[in-house]
Amino acid sequence: MSARISFLKNPDPCNHLSGYKLRYGTDGYKSFQSLFSCFNDGRIKIKLREIEIPRCSYCSVYQKRLYICLFCRSISCSSHILLHTQLNKGHDIAIDVERSELYCCACIDQVYDPEFDEIVVSKQLVGLGMSVKSGADVVAVRSNKKRRLDSQLIIGSKFLVSPRDRREKWSFPLGLRGLNNLGSTCFMNAVLQALVHAPPLRNFWLSGQHNRDLCPRRTMGLLCLPCDLDVIFAAMFSGDRTPYSPAHLLHSWWQHSTNLATYEQQDSHEFFISLLDRIHENEGKSKCLYQDHEECQCITHKAFSGLLRSDVTCTTCGSTSTTYDPFIDISLTLDSANGFSPADCRKNRYNGGPSVNATMPTLSGCLDFFTRSEKLGPDQKLNCQSCGEKRESSKQMSIRRLPLLLCLHVKRFEHSLTRKTSRKIDSYLQYPFRLNMSPYLSSSIIGKRFGNRMFAFDGEGEYDSSSSSPPSAEFEIFAVVTHSGMLESGHYVTYLRLKGLWYKCDDSWINEVEEEVVRGCECYMLFYAQEKVIQKAHKELSYQVISMAEAFPFANC
Amino acid sequence: MKHSVNRPPTPDKDDAAEGFEKDEVTLREIINVKLVESGEKENLMELVRDRLVECGWKDEMRIACREHVKKKGRKDVTVDELIRVITPKGRASVPDSVKAELLNRIQNFIVSAALCV
Repeated sequence: MSARISFLKNPDPCNHLSGYKLRYGTDGYKSFQSLFSCFNDGRIKIKLREIEIPRCSYCSVYQKRLYICLFCRSISCSSHILLHTQLNKGHDIAIDVERSELYCCACIDQVYDPEFDEIVVSKQLVGLGMSVKSGADVVAVRSNKKRRLDSQLIIGSKFLVSPRDRREKWSFPLGLRGLNNLGSTCFMNAVLQALVHAPPLRNFWLSGQHNRDLCPRRTMGLLCLPCDLDVIFAAMFSGDRTPYSPAHLLHSWWQHSTNLATYEQQDSHEFFISLLDRIHENEGKSKCLYQDHEECQCITHKAFSGLLRSDVTCTTCGSTSTTYDPFIDISLTLDSANGFSPADCRKNRYNGGPSVNATMPTLSGCLDFFTRSEKLGPDQKLNCQSCGEKRESSKQMSIRRLPLLLCLHVKRFEHSLTRKTSRKIDSYLQYPFRLNMSPYLSSSIIGKRFGNRMFAFDGEGEYDSSSSSPPSAEFEIFAVVTHSGMLESGHYVTYLRLKGLWYKCDDSWINEVEEEVVRGCECYMLFYAQEKVIQKAHKELSYQVISMAEAFPFANC
Repeated sequence: MKHSVNRPPTPDKDDAAEGFEKDEVTLREIINVKLVESGEKENLMELVRDRLVECGWKDEMRIACREHVKKKGRKDVTVDELIRVITPKGRASVPDSVKAELLNRIQNFIVSAALCV
């Protein structure tokens, strides 16, 4: 199988096709090359020179779907093709005259062979006046649309594929490309896939806002991870579908985190945090944007930074001290104890479905747990201002400001210092594709405690005074990093959602998968984006080329 | 017995219809040949294809196919079966405007072809 389509899961050939290929190879296909004719809209048909109108040799009809036998070149219609096979033993494979597609008469179904398609495509290329290279170099997109001269094809890797119809057989969304495993580096590949397809990050790098050729750090010979990412983005969106090896990034990351520079399996979440951190460092320094975390304009913080509010209340006198801390992700405790939340239970009763299993953890359950009012232990007494001494207190977290991209990390790896053991929590966590974060906002959490009292907010409104419209709390999922297996020897896989379809990215292999597969997976990191970000991304993926205007989403954010 | 053998046979009603149909078939064939020879058939095919995509018919068919496959299961469906199931739906849902346009084009073609003969 040619490497260029290794990520596509081609349907397996039927016995008849494999038998045919064993005996004749591609000679049969090649002998048909002279009969292929390229028409003005790029379609390839079979055109028999003497006979203008192909007819069924059994019933003379020309209006039905016609097939030409690979062996004897006789033409049969769909009603008589089975008869042809029965009368002529071994004449199993035929070609659809109108569409140039393979058909197995014995299986009464269409079959697929990349080598056949290669020959058809090379004819299309010739038809378009482009020079044809041998199979391995040609990566083409089969287009049934007219004016194919508009879409360019890859030969080598010099041109960019920009198919007009995104639903075509061979076209995956732009930017979808496998990543080679360089030795237990699936932890890195998984995170990279999620980041490459995060709209704000994608737009940032593709619009050249960190150009490796112009980077001051690089010109000084310093290490620059954003530059390595620039290379990766360019490679991912080049249109080349052969799996890519992110060796430079791995090497650079090793140089930054020498303690993690082994071929051992690392933690994906740890890599994620350290990578974002490096980007912030490099970006902040080179662009002098580094102020304090809250106002930092580097791409890491623009995309992922949110604000957490922590209220510590003295249980004796009730006075509360509030602090704010920025965050770039939220780590959630996964405990079978934080099972269903009351919201889930109510929802299920509404729909008449079975009552939710009390012990099955859900994402909302974890978020509820995260924002619960937690009584701090007697050994955690804090100094109460009004009481004047150390008192027992309770603490409650809530989200003051939501980020553009929300990364929720499920703590599946438990490291116990006392027992000096680590274990992995395998329990399934139910999570939604659409997430409304309003119940976890400070306004809601504090509101629940104090009702509508204004003073509880310390003068904060529900919205940021800077934005014109209220930031939405509606999020849509765009990537899921899953971990399967055991602590030491597990495997990371990422599921990406592009234009409503799910794709599984397992190192070098990419295929489209059904929703159910993603819902049922063991999630480790969930990447949500504000719905307006997703909506904008939808539009962007429909364009042929990402123009500079579309690439600067922050102007309209 | 009276010999009515010399009387020409009364034309059967069905025979007449059959004859007319046969003529129609040959006429249809002639038109088809002319369309193919002149290349107009290809243009018309392209036109129809474009119109059906524009009005969303192609997407509707794709959804219908997907649903059928979802129902039957991916392994159990053949292309032939899909064709068999979807074709009636497809034919029924072609918008009248597309049919009208196509008819118009063919009429114009016939007129111009007849004039050139």
